[in-house]
Amino acid sequence: MIPERELFWHAGPKTLFYLLSLVSVSIFFYGLTRHISVWKKGLKKEKIHLSCKSIGSVIKDGIFAGRILKGDISAGIMHLLIFWGFSFLFLGTIVLAFDHYIYHFLFGKKYLFFSFSLEVAGIMLILGLFLAFIRRYVQKIGRLENKREDFIVLLWLVLITFTGFFLEGLRLSYQNPEWKKFSFFGLLFSNIFSKDTAYMIYPFFWWIHVLLSLSFISAIPFTKLFHMIASPLSIYIKDQPYFIVPVEEREDVFTYRELIQIDACTRCGRCVEICPSSGVGEPFAPRDVISLIKEKIFFGKKTEYDPKLIWYCTTCGACLEVCPIYIPPFRIIRELRAREIEDGTRVPALMAQTLERLYKYNNPWVSSKKRTEWVKGLDIIDITKEKEEGLLCYFVGCTTSYETRAQEIARSFSKILNRCGVRFGILGRKEPCCGDIARRVGEDGLFEDHTISCIELFQEYGIKEVVTSSPHCLWTMKNEYPLLKDIDISFFHYSQILERLINEGVLNFKKGLNIKVTYHDPCYLGRHNRIFDSPRNVIKAIPGIKLIEMEHNKENSLCCGGGGGRMWQEELDVDVKMSERRIMEVYDTGAEIVITCCPLCLIMLEDARKTKGLEESLKVMDLNEFVLMALE
Amino acid sequence: MNIILCVKQVPDVTEADIRIKKDGKDIEKEDLEMVINEWDNYAVEEAVRIKEKYGGKITVITLGDEESEDVLRRALAMGADEAIRIDEEGFEGSDPRGIALGLYHVIKDLPFDLILTGAQSADMGWAQVGVLLAGMLNIPYATLAVQIEIKDKKVIVKRELESNTFENVELPIPSLITIQSGINEPRYVSVLGIRRVRKLKIEEKFLDDLEIPPDKVGEKGSIIESMKLMPPPEGKGAEIIEGSIEEVCERLAQIIKEKGGL
Repeated sequence: MIPERELFWHAGPKTLFYLLSLVSVSIFFYGLTRHISVWKKGLKKEKIHLSCKSIGSVIKDGIFAGRILKGDISAGIMHLLIFWGFSFLFLGTIVLAFDHYIYHFLFGKKYLFFSFSLEVAGIMLILGLFLAFIRRYVQKIGRLENKREDFIVLLWLVLITFTGFFLEGLRLSYQNPEWKKFSFFGLLFSNIFSKDTAYMIYPFFWWIHVLLSLSFISAIPFTKLFHMIASPLSIYIKDQPYFIVPVEEREDVFTYRELIQIDACTRCGRCVEICPSSGVGEPFAPRDVISLIKEKIFFGKKTEYDPKLIWYCTTCGACLEVCPIYIPPFRIIRELRAREIEDGTRVPALMAQTLERLYKYNNPWVSSKKRTEWVKGLDIIDITKEKEEGLLCYFVGCTTSYETRAQEIARSFSKILNRCGVRFGILGRKEPCCGDIARRVGEDGLFEDHTISCIELFQEYGIKEVVTSSPHCLWTMKNEYPLLKDIDISFFHYSQILERLINEGVLNFKKGLNIKVTYHDPCYLGRHNRIFDSPRNVIKAIPGIKLIEMEHNKENSLCCGGGGGRMWQEELDVDVKMSERRIMEVYDTGAEIVITCCPLCLIMLEDARKTKGLEESLKVMDLNEFVLMALE
Repeated sequence: MNIILCVKQVPDVTEADIRIKKDGKDIEKEDLEMVINEWDNYAVEEAVRIKEKYGGKITVITLGDEESEDVLRRALAMGADEAIRIDEEGFEGSDPRGIALGLYHVIKDLPFDLILTGAQSADMGWAQVGVLLAGMLNIPYATLAVQIEIKDKKVIVKRELESNTFENVELPIPSLITIQSGINEPRYVSVLGIRRVRKLKIEEKFLDDLEIPPDKVGEKGSIIESMKLMPPPEGKGAEIIEGSIEEVCERLAQIIKEKGGL
């Protein structure tokens, strides 16, 4: 006998099966169009480009679970087993349909190979589901939120798979074919019932299997199973060019990109696990905000997030770093803030005060325009007064200009530049705020104003190269200005300039320093601007220095708690501050000095050092101060 | 509920070094930023909340120079519907009566149910314009309101009195209420909000149009004369600590310790 299998053996009526299939697929497509219609609302004039790199990402992070494996191998294995098992079984069904309706080729050895493959796929799926159960309900992994949906989806898949194998067993028990050993797993179920009983109950279980499977298909767009469609899309669009809609033209809050990303979230909770705000016990969790918006936008639930919560986010970007499908909750939260700012009635009082100060006085710190107090006693060119073209423009930034501790950054950096004979100048009293704070807290009108004043000033004085104190200014100027206006200016952070001076041999250290230090990666320098090595190279260029890394470093760095407007929102702090958690990690390294590269980090860590009583054992220094110390 | 709002632009002196002009009658305002008078900001918010609840129209009025259009635009962005600016020319040096007179001659021809003003201004602090205006219009008034409730064509106002006591009064409509700070939390006005009202027309009135005898307003018409402006004298108990931040903090901590504060 030639090995093969008769489709619809002892089952039917076929017409009813076709009818139900049609219903199930229709429900699926109805659900799908509902999602697409929401995505379309966010789609303005931009196009989604075809990109090989993005397809590569989908393959790597989708099909091969790249990011799911990262940091949680068991989760990765679970997902790979379920994904590959499910995909093979799904493909198998398509092949079977092809064989049945179009061209019969599944017989003999080909059939045996096919049958064996599906058997393996089924086992993979079962193992994956088993692992999922263990993780969720035995190990009780902290970041997993257990909602009813999670249980039902899992149970559903388990039932489909088991009824499938069970049916196979019944069939084998009746047919008893000589090639049955190729269906080794289904065979286990073949001895439960006698040949006649198996034949009798087969149709009943066939229908159960069919109904479970068909309803599963129609449930996809209405449950978290929809990530099968939205997650690959979310990975695909992550590298699509960003755009900023001018505030006066903006209608809906979210862009298509954000809508797809919100839609793709499976609530895996990695963002909650890594979030520095959640980490110190603040009531904010990125996942919760995303899933509340998702329920509201896509499933019409009347859920409302607490508007206070969106102000906790420091926009540090740690969540994006761990999200398996590249959802950036901080960008979505920024859009929610923009909505709150426009409404105005629920903006926290301190935030409103800061923004009003920014509007009137061009800085978030004091109601004064005396920006150049820090210059006293230093010889620095004011580009707006002495028109000398081609100078490196040092954009000092608000915090570095006004805040006493941070002023030391500007003073020491200027001294180093002077020592190295670098021709540079500042914008003096005319220097505006770069717009970072406004952008991060959703005051997009003010952000536009700041952007335009900065660009106009750069152009007026023929500035081609800008170096900033703050990684926040750098991020805004380098990545967001070009989205509003075409500019031909290069932007750098001072750590890059220092590195350049060392490489050129202009800056060199004759004396050594015999000190153990550690380096704190500012979120906006590291994660956002991807500058991890420049400051480290500068530190390592000083002879005798021992650089110890903290537990969280580089892209996993812990936020100091100062970004995204949090510097001016002290009322949100809880018992433990983010900066205190970070300073304790510094302390654990045994380093004598923690070096950082951002005015906000400097202030936050300096405060934490004092509140934690580490004044004796630990010093917080800016990279410039440290370099200057090594030089003097 | 149609509301008329009277607002004023004042210099922001929260963190400014104030210098007195040579003639000793005013402060140097050149380097100062102008903002809406704090009390008036609460009045705008209160008016907008009343409008959101009961409907109606808000007309906001100021007496000032062209620059003071900013406070009108701000009020429009918050939810006011129309704005009138009475040009300052001829009113310079007015006492509260002169200013109230200017406002009166504009308001007397307008229909309204309520007039809201700030309880006082941050710069001169007379706290009289509101009540004088009520007197001229011959309508009842309540001052220092910390809560306003509207019930069947009547207004119940909670007034702040001394040493943490309050008084509830009932006023008919129309009437005038002066608003105490803290009555509400004024909403944030976004740049977008201000841009949206940029093109709204602001009605302008000039002294000549108002049929006010010029000798009733301005310095000439003022029965109060500002003689001399001076900073408060240094008290005997005051010690100005000088030096670097470390030195200042050390000295401060020492004083607190000495006085038994720690």
